[in-house]
Amino acid sequence: MRPDPSRFLGVAAGHLMTKTAGALPPGYEQSSVSVIGLMLTQLGEEFERAAARRIEENRELRRIFADAVDIVADDDLRAKLAEAARGEDLNFTVSALEQSNCALRTLLIELHVHVEDLDSEAARSLEAEIWHELVASTERRKLGIGPF
Amino acid sequence: MTGAGLRDLDLRDDTLGNAMTSLDSRLAAYIAHRIPDAEDIVVRDLERIFGGASRETYRFWLDYRQGAESVSRPLILRRDPPGSLIETDRATEFGTYRAFFGTAVPVPEPLWLEEEASWLDHPFFVMEQLLGMEAGPTQVVAPPYDQYAEQMAQQKWTILGEIHRADPSALGLDSVMEAVTPDACWRRELTHWERTINEDELCPQPVIRAAIRWLRRNPPPPPERVGVVHGDYRTGNFLVDPEGVIRAILDWEMAHLGDPLEDLAWSLNPVWRWAGDERAGGLAPREEAIEIWEKASGLRAESDALRWWEVFSSVKGQAIWISGGKEFTDGKNQDMILALSAWLMGNSQDRAALYTLGHFT
Repeated sequence: MRPDPSRFLGVAAGHLMTKTAGALPPGYEQSSVSVIGLMLTQLGEEFERAAARRIEENRELRRIFADAVDIVADDDLRAKLAEAARGEDLNFTVSALEQSNCALRTLLIELHVHVEDLDSEAARSLEAEIWHELVASTERRKLGIGPF
Repeated sequence: MTGAGLRDLDLRDDTLGNAMTSLDSRLAAYIAHRIPDAEDIVVRDLERIFGGASRETYRFWLDYRQGAESVSRPLILRRDPPGSLIETDRATEFGTYRAFFGTAVPVPEPLWLEEEASWLDHPFFVMEQLLGMEAGPTQVVAPPYDQYAEQMAQQKWTILGEIHRADPSALGLDSVMEAVTPDACWRRELTHWERTINEDELCPQPVIRAAIRWLRRNPPPPPERVGVVHGDYRTGNFLVDPEGVIRAILDWEMAHLGDPLEDLAWSLNPVWRWAGDERAGGLAPREEAIEIWEKASGLRAESDALRWWEVFSSVKGQAIWISGGKEFTDGKNQDMILALSAWLMGNSQDRAALYTLGHFT
């Protein structure tokens, strides 16, 4: 058995923040080492969920786009939404998932702008769905030591 | 003790700047230039302070002899870095310290502003260092300072009211700060920070983009009066003595003329809840903070206008974290605080924006 990366990062963070930082005189370098330790705790948290949260989010965004196809009033946007909704993540490296996530979130912004200007019950419902996803996406990224 | 004197340096030599290699000796040479009748100038115990993300901040001791008098002073050097969280004009920051020094708004004494980069590679200024103080945002809301939370809150928002009560023209700040008409305050600030996001974002920001659109659809009324806006008024940007008394307001690098509600809203942003509860800035309930400020400033915090500035404060905050993250990623400034801020504060800022917009409880 070998320690998994999240476990290692947590232990390394603790080592840096207590033993290493504690051995340094108070000052800039000591604070820098402590911050590196804090970063490692966050990276440990992020490592575990990095692929999962992107896969989940990309799936949610494609579902919203599929719902939106029949609501939007712009042909170009409708075509982009339809194409994105048909998409699928086939490369599960974090960088590839992040790339598709950024593309989907860019399209989400475009859809949100468009929907805000539509005057229909369906548009309001879609807008609520988008806000729900924005809250969910923020929760997916939440870090244990964040100030809020 | 580490120190650098002028004994080995020829101040008349034009190539002096090239010959000096250490910051302390270069700083000593600069001070000799500023105090020409000083002798035996020594800069010692020069040490960088962590957390000055917009400027490199150093503390040091300056010793020198002036006639029969021996002088020893603790000072602060604030030097522009290659990249930072925010790009600001150090002349404005220095001018603001100078304007408020000796007034009801406590600030350290500013000494010298140097815009010529040849002395220390980047522009900088030097000011007084106050000893025995605490500024850390998590420290001043924790023991032993937490016993003074009410007192600090009273003082914190009273001083903010004093800043907003001040007449920028009488302080001479209209010569270092760009004028703005009351109805242009919100648009100028929003445009500036939106541009920062446009230029620096590394990934799409759907929450903050939605917040920006909301802000443009719901502009606030003009302020009762245009005043001095500190620009970063929060727990962490003031010095507290061991008895919990605020002795100086720091970090004026984003100071400008504008709507005073901008500062009040910034101080109330949920990301500064350092005590881990709902108190604004980790010090006082929100309504209490507003009441103190209204009493001190003589202004009213109308709820819709304040809400606009609170949403704006999350846009501005996110712009700052994004900008710092880009500086770090580009390798222009690899101070760890930039990476930490982008990671830790970015998500909290989105949460704060959603909360203020009413989409998150």
